[in-house]
Amino acid sequence: MNATDLAIDVSHLVTHYGSRKILDDISFQARQGEIMVIMGGSGSGKSTLLRHLLGLHQPTSGSIRLLGKDITQLSADEMYDLRKNMGVAFQGGALFNSMTVGENVELPLREHTRLDENTMRIMSRMKLEVVNLAGFENLMPSELSGGMIKRAALARAIVMDPRLLFFDEPSAGLDPVVSAELDELILILRDAMNMTIVVVTHELESAFKIADRITVLDQGRILMSDTVAAVRASSNERIQSLLNRKPRNEAINPDEYMERLTREIF
Amino acid sequence: MEIQIEDRPPYKLVRLSGDVDLHSSPRAREAILDCLKLKAPLLVDLSAVSYMDSSGVASLVEGYQTAKKQGLEFALVAVAQSAMNVLKLARLDKVFPIHASLDERMAQQR
Amino acid sequence: MTLNPLLSFVSQVGQRSLQSVREVGYHAALLAEAFYWLLFGHWRRQPVRLGAVFKEAVGVGVNAIPIVALASFATGMMLAIQGIYTLRTFGAEGQVVLGIALSVTREFAPLITGIFVAGRSGSAIAARIGTMQISQEIDALRVIGINPVRYLVAPLLAAMLLTLPALTILSDLVALFGGALYCAGELSLPMGIFFERTFEVLVAEDVIHGVLKSFIFAVIVTLIGAGNGFNVSAGAEGVGQATTRAVVLGCIGIILADMVFTFLTSR
Ligand SMILES: Nc1ncnc2c1ncn2[C@@H]1O[C@H](COP(=O)(O)OP(=O)(O)OP(=O)(O)O)[C@@H](O)[C@H]1O
Ligand SMILES: [Mg+2]
Repeated sequence: MNATDLAIDVSHLVTHYGSRKILDDISFQARQGEIMVIMGGSGSGKSTLLRHLLGLHQPTSGSIRLLGKDITQLSADEMYDLRKNMGVAFQGGALFNSMTVGENVELPLREHTRLDENTMRIMSRMKLEVVNLAGFENLMPSELSGGMIKRAALARAIVMDPRLLFFDEPSAGLDPVVSAELDELILILRDAMNMTIVVVTHELESAFKIADRITVLDQGRILMSDTVAAVRASSNERIQSLLNRKPRNEAINPDEYMERLTREIF
Repeated sequence: MEIQIEDRPPYKLVRLSGDVDLHSSPRAREAILDCLKLKAPLLVDLSAVSYMDSSGVASLVEGYQTAKKQGLEFALVAVAQSAMNVLKLARLDKVFPIHASLDERMAQQR
Repeated sequence: MTLNPLLSFVSQVGQRSLQSVREVGYHAALLAEAFYWLLFGHWRRQPVRLGAVFKEAVGVGVNAIPIVALASFATGMMLAIQGIYTLRTFGAEGQVVLGIALSVTREFAPLITGIFVAGRSGSAIAARIGTMQISQEIDALRVIGINPVRYLVAPLLAAMLLTLPALTILSDLVALFGGALYCAGELSLPMGIFFERTFEVLVAEDVIHGVLKSFIFAVIVTLIGAGNGFNVSAGAEGVGQATTRAVVLGCIGIILADMVFTFLTSR
């Protein structure tokens, strides 16, 4: 891979919450126009990885290059400029509750551009059309259903036509039809705008449908970061159990197990 | 982004070329709205557009709406693929009158 | 725990003071950042919007007028009742005007205004920012490239600095009116005379003293409200605790600051 067409290049990322190590030596890449799905069991560190990719935390060590810029080294002003090329749809939507849906979607435009009022209005309505929320711009977020909130959050994330889109758990808590529609939308967006899209998800089906590459996390480490076909064909036990939804059946070490149960009992 | 304005009676022709993005689209918008103030039917040539974002599309939408209100013709001609993708994203390819080329439109005129 | 209880007590006190110091430092940094955005935001092309300042000013200032006016009126009357009662033992009821005028402008008006705004707005600020913190709205602001301090705290601080002094002056007037009304009834002192004497004894410095305090209170209420909001981490319960803390610490902060300010300036 040529370093210049890498939209995302994470190398040797190590992060801690307090003194607990959460991510350990994470490295992976994604090219412009690729859809990268991050998978892994609960607590494996997916959300933590995403928060670091978004520059919300400073990692302990390692580098995160987005569109060629190492965000762990950027000044506030450089980061500010980079953020114009990044869109994020959070798991819970994180719409601003004091604003209407339309105002939410327009906010990035208001902050970052000096476009005409009409242009901003049309742009935000176009994005609401794209996510099938036409005509809802005057509602408050509290008046929307869960799936509508997710779509409105997506509209806000793409209103600036970002080159990087991050999407946390698009399908969580949605019925299969709605989540299939969201998958479709992700593909359309990539095709139309050549966005690089990072999706965090549990849903296997959705992951296989949209991903170009899949990164599998397990207990803060990368098990694999490869094409969909390679992940499917992997012989790694943990990956297979994730794919086949088998419960973990790790070998038990009786002494360690007893130690865990009886620790700090006197 | 470059803007060329030509007279192709009865039309005004606005040729956009290069990147129509957040920085340049306000100029495109102004050019389109200015031409419409002259009460001339308008063609917008997008053949040389290398990239168009939704602010560019929004400018076209506003132009089209303004033309409609005045009963003037407004059409896109020779839409480059990249611009077409963005139009399709919001299903606007089904809304704008689009002609494959300028010649085609002029031929129909006769 | 096999630790000596005394040792554990000492260590707890130590931890607490360390935390307090950290908290004071945090609020100082918050204040510096809010002022930075107010002063240099335009130059960084991330201005604090006037519309937002205006909206907050209505919320924290204009909407507080009825309650502050009512409290001030009652306080003015109360001072008159108490003053006449006390001074009567010396046969010096006539001096009550002086007492009311000075204590209202220098102490009671700024204090009453500060406490009521802390109760009304300090809690509201903490609740609003705390809720935004747990619903990831603060993160959303940051990823859009909007600094949360610039967007949420700076307009509030500006609004507080504008409205609290104005409310304090309003409180001055209403409290004096309350006092005058009672004196008119009790001492048959015409209102005109009351205000005439008031403006004879008052010097500009007295009113300025009160207004200066209200600037300090504005800073305290805003910072304690916002700081507690930003530090919410755990759910709805956390928001509840933050609002309570914002009110309690806000009121205590105001009273302590009042004491220190009065001590430093009135000797
Ligand atoms: N704010 C935090 N403070 C301390 N530890 C945290 C925090 N957030 C997450 N963790 C820890 O980090 C680890 C990874 O959590 P993370 O939320 O990244 O997992 P996840 O893969 O997103 O799981 P899920 O699929 O359940 O959302 C967990 O062990 C969790 O306890
Ligand atoms: Mg998670």
